[in-house]
Amino acid sequence: MRDQGEAGAMTRREVLGTLGAMGVAGAAGTVSLTAAPAEAQTLGQNESVEAGLSRVFGGRPMKDGGSLIKLDVPLIAENGAVVPVAVEVNAPMTPQSYVKSIYVVADRNRIPIVTRVALSPEAGKAFMGANIRLGETGDVRAIVEQSDGTLWQIKREVKVTVGGCGG
Amino acid sequence: MSDIGKVRLRLPSSIKAGDVVQVRCLIIHPMERIERDKAGKIIDKKYNYINKVVVTYLGKTISTFDTTQSVSENPYFAFTLKATDPGPVTVTFHDTLGGKYEGTAQITFG
Repeated sequence: MRDQGEAGAMTRREVLGTLGAMGVAGAAGTVSLTAAPAEAQTLGQNESVEAGLSRVFGGRPMKDGGSLIKLDVPLIAENGAVVPVAVEVNAPMTPQSYVKSIYVVADRNRIPIVTRVALSPEAGKAFMGANIRLGETGDVRAIVEQSDGTLWQIKREVKVTVGGCGG
Repeated sequence: MSDIGKVRLRLPSSIKAGDVVQVRCLIIHPMERIERDKAGKIIDKKYNYINKVVVTYLGKTISTFDTTQSVSENPYFAFTLKATDPGPVTVTFHDTLGGKYEGTAQITFG
């Protein structure tokens, strides 16, 4: 059984390798062109939230950001297609120490990583707002990355009456 | 959708120099969600959704939103910036089909 499994994996690998080579050939070696779509794809993939978080953050420890982050979401979202989310971080925005990025993650969505906002110190305040989709009732997280690499996380549950993801 | 790419930007009505102002913007865009066939398999096609929003003010990039299909149709975004000098705020939206839509508002003091 084990031999068979390994043989199967090998052929699959070969197939993937060939496909990859074709892809590179098709892109005619333009690195900058291929980099941009790959970047967009890495963020919004169909995956579980654990897989998404470990892919983006690589298992780095996250501190509880309850005192630092204000995550503004409705308790009950009647329409999952439009759910207003606002994240405000109570942290200084100076060139030495600022909030580098804010991630919004919807645990139960098929595409869990909703958005990543990269901020510069000129923003004056670490704040972002957006309307997002929620497929079903579940946690919404805000993950904040500071310029020194520290990660903070906060979660809130949102009850969804009518799901808005479809996909 | 003939309105696709229509951008609206809203600034606070009065801004003083040095204020941290909140800017809200809205764009008309379908933000196509993933479609599945009857067997539940994802239909493989190029979905048209906004994957990048760039905010610039006085020639500097203030913030960049990398967005996915989990963002609502006709998305709304809000962000802040420190109003140091009068000048334009430009928000540029890029979608996966190469569309580029722009909205500008002027920051004036008074």
